[in-house]
Amino acid sequence: MIIRRNRNGNMAKVSGRQRTITRWRRYGLCLLLVLVPRGLPATTKTATQTLQAVVSAEGGLFSFPNSVSLTKTGSTFSTFSGSLTIQYGARTTQSSGGGSITVEASADFTPAGGPSIASPPSSGDALQYTCSGATLGTACSGTQTVSTKSSSSVVTLAASECTGGGGSCSSASPNTVSLTFTLTDDPKYKTASTYSATLTFTISAT
Amino acid sequence: MKKTATTIAALLLTAALAHAQLGSGTGTTTVSVTVGAEAALNVSNSSTPLTSSGTNFTNFTGSTGLTYFIRTSQSSGSGSVTLKVTSDFSPANGPSVTTPPSTGDKLAYTCSVSGTGTACSSSQTASTGSSTTVITFGVDNHTTTFPGGDTATASWTLTNDPKYKTGSYTATVTFTISAS
Repeated sequence: MIIRRNRNGNMAKVSGRQRTITRWRRYGLCLLLVLVPRGLPATTKTATQTLQAVVSAEGGLFSFPNSVSLTKTGSTFSTFSGSLTIQYGARTTQSSGGGSITVEASADFTPAGGPSIASPPSSGDALQYTCSGATLGTACSGTQTVSTKSSSSVVTLAASECTGGGGSCSSASPNTVSLTFTLTDDPKYKTASTYSATLTFTISAT
Repeated sequence: MKKTATTIAALLLTAALAHAQLGSGTGTTTVSVTVGAEAALNVSNSSTPLTSSGTNFTNFTGSTGLTYFIRTSQSSGSGSVTLKVTSDFSPANGPSVTTPPSTGDKLAYTCSVSGTGTACSSSQTASTGSSTTVITFGVDNHTTTFPGGDTATASWTLTNDPKYKTGSYTATVTFTISAS
């Protein structure tokens, strides 16, 4: 026999049926607690965070052939020639930006006795190039002469230029431009299996 | 708090990665060329008239100018300019390189060079059967004047045999330059 305080505050006997009801109420409460998903907030709070990205002008050169061989075609003592395609991407400032890709001979032909950019055996000898097919910006016009003392133009970028995505940006990504090199075939060059020079390309964007 | 800090770090890392994917500001490439032995030749004259002065059967004379470009190998190189009569005088009954009317008749030449190479040393007799030397080149020979080229002259002498019938007669001479 179980005696409990009832709702009136008086001590009274609890019948078996009442004990069962109490027991089920207790289980139901536990079941309700188990079924209720954890984490349901009793209240909702919000907080804000400001994200700020500063997008600047940028330019980058991607992988391109690390060597180009100049070979002879056509008649004897015609020029040596060869082609190179470089990849690049750029973003120039809206309204007032610009940029360029330039090239300079960072190392003259070696060994001595053959072609030379800085001191050719004949005054008319030259390593030259033309540009074509720039998919962003404007390719150099006419024939350019490679120098060891200054850089020469390959691509000129204007304001609001951007790579990829189409619309106001180029559809191509990365962008490309092709260069065709020519080198005078001066009889004064001594024969050799290989003469090599190093060209450095630089991209800038503002 | 921990969750918020992680988000900011992810954004900063993404920005850094995006910058690296744009490539680099400079790139280098090596330009290379192989220079071998070469030779080129131009004949200055469109034709070479052979003329005789006087009336006592003095020999016919004339000259052919050459402009040439040469590069022979640094080691064990050589080269030459030669000529050969590739078409004998025609029409018949005049001078002939192959079958002259008199045994002493001949088409001969001497050589001179202004530039690289050694000219033929004495009078040479032109032939339809074989080539004869005009200039000889040695090891590591190079044209001294570029783009103008070096020059040479073949000075001709043709016997003025009275047996030739009167008329105009022409032959073809082919010059060949080589280099190794």
